[in-house]
Amino acid sequence: MQSADETVYTVGELNTEVRGLLESEYPRVAVVGEVSNCRKYSSGHIYFTLKDEEAQLASVCWRSTASRLRVVLADGMRVIVSGRLTVYEARGQYQMVVDSVREAGRGDLQLAFERLKEKLEAEGLFDPARKQPLPRFPLTIAVITSPTGAAVRDVVSTLERRWPCARVLLLPVHVQGEMASGEIAAALELAGRARDLDVVIVGRGGGSLEDLWAFNEERTARAIAACPVPVVSAVGHETDFTIADFVADVRAATPTAAAEIVAPILDDVMGALDLSLERMARGVSTRVRLMQSRLSELVRSYALGRIRSRIEQALQSVDYHTERLQRGTASALEARRTGLNALSTRLGDLDPRAVLARGYAICDEPTSGRLVSTARDAALAGAMRVRFSDGNVMTEVKGETE
Amino acid sequence: MSAEKPDAASLEASMKRLETIVTELEAGDQPLEAALERFEEGLDIGKRCREILDRAEERVRRLVDVADDGSIRSEDLEGE
Repeated sequence: MQSADETVYTVGELNTEVRGLLESEYPRVAVVGEVSNCRKYSSGHIYFTLKDEEAQLASVCWRSTASRLRVVLADGMRVIVSGRLTVYEARGQYQMVVDSVREAGRGDLQLAFERLKEKLEAEGLFDPARKQPLPRFPLTIAVITSPTGAAVRDVVSTLERRWPCARVLLLPVHVQGEMASGEIAAALELAGRARDLDVVIVGRGGGSLEDLWAFNEERTARAIAACPVPVVSAVGHETDFTIADFVADVRAATPTAAAEIVAPILDDVMGALDLSLERMARGVSTRVRLMQSRLSELVRSYALGRIRSRIEQALQSVDYHTERLQRGTASALEARRTGLNALSTRLGDLDPRAVLARGYAICDEPTSGRLVSTARDAALAGAMRVRFSDGNVMTEVKGETE
Repeated sequence: MSAEKPDAASLEASMKRLETIVTELEAGDQPLEAALERFEEGLDIGKRCREILDRAEERVRRLVDVADDGSIRSEDLEGE
């Protein structure tokens, strides 16, 4: 029951009154603490939480002040801020409006980060020689991250868009909080035992230094280092560096960037493959044309002329297959293959060098180059050039024999 | 469910081999017969690579466990 002398405030009235009290009582105050959850808005205002082991204080630095600050506020930084206290009435939250900031040494998390970094670096865990190269064409990709965050969507959609031929396996874990580093380490260990795994992406989206802390823990770092499969780290935004990034085989600036580093673009690879097949076909048809010009030097008689027409057919067949290759249809592949198979056999039969190597020789009349194919022609010619597989000799015809 | 899985290393090796063959054939300094053999081999490699690249894998799955022999057990992601 309400007594007669009790004042009943509206919420707004109360907040206004408290605000007045706070503002008059604390027009200027200095506080020491660690910066955390620091967010810079496009408006230019900076919001952060100042904290120590026991308590937190919401703080804001308006744009006009923010642009004059001589230190760049960042999570983990230990600072002394000066300003006034006020109440954000709409939310009934009291906060500090900061008008100056100076550094007061580094925060605990920052110190822990640097100690671990030094220790692991001394052990050689960041050594470039330890880094494993990524496979060019990974076919099974593991993703270790939270199953609910934006990071998993970014990674999976990027992988599916660029490189749909890969199998993507998710290992869901907590990426912040007490259990996070244990789960991440266990997932890395599990992935490391898989036989057909080509690469692992481990990470999460952006957050405060506390949020990213699991990626600064020794357990996570050692699990990454021990993983026999190449690991790409993808923690936070471009500017966030974690111990995991130093140990990983490759550090990606964001989860999306990790997927882009890991997966080639399928169309590019297909295009390169087509181009290779096309260049190969062109190379072979050039070879066959060279062969033809060598043959035409040797082949003059009617008998060999018949072979020539078969060679020309073979050449046409190569042209045909080359053209089909250039059109680059997948279904043509088998047709080309059998066509060229036949061609290969035929050309093998025709190779005049193969004939000469079997002990036959070609005789011609040295001045005219006309082929000498009968004993009578030989007697008339008087002298002949005889072609063997390894060169020519000049001969003199002494007469016909039986 | 993963009956036969081509591995990344052999795909990479195949692509490299194909590049070597292309270079050799363009240089044109082997005997014709060898050149045609290379060409055959190149076509085979091209076909095999294409088969791998043409696969459209199922959507992302959850890795459940890895057996002692290293084989992966996976399942559909619940929900989405």
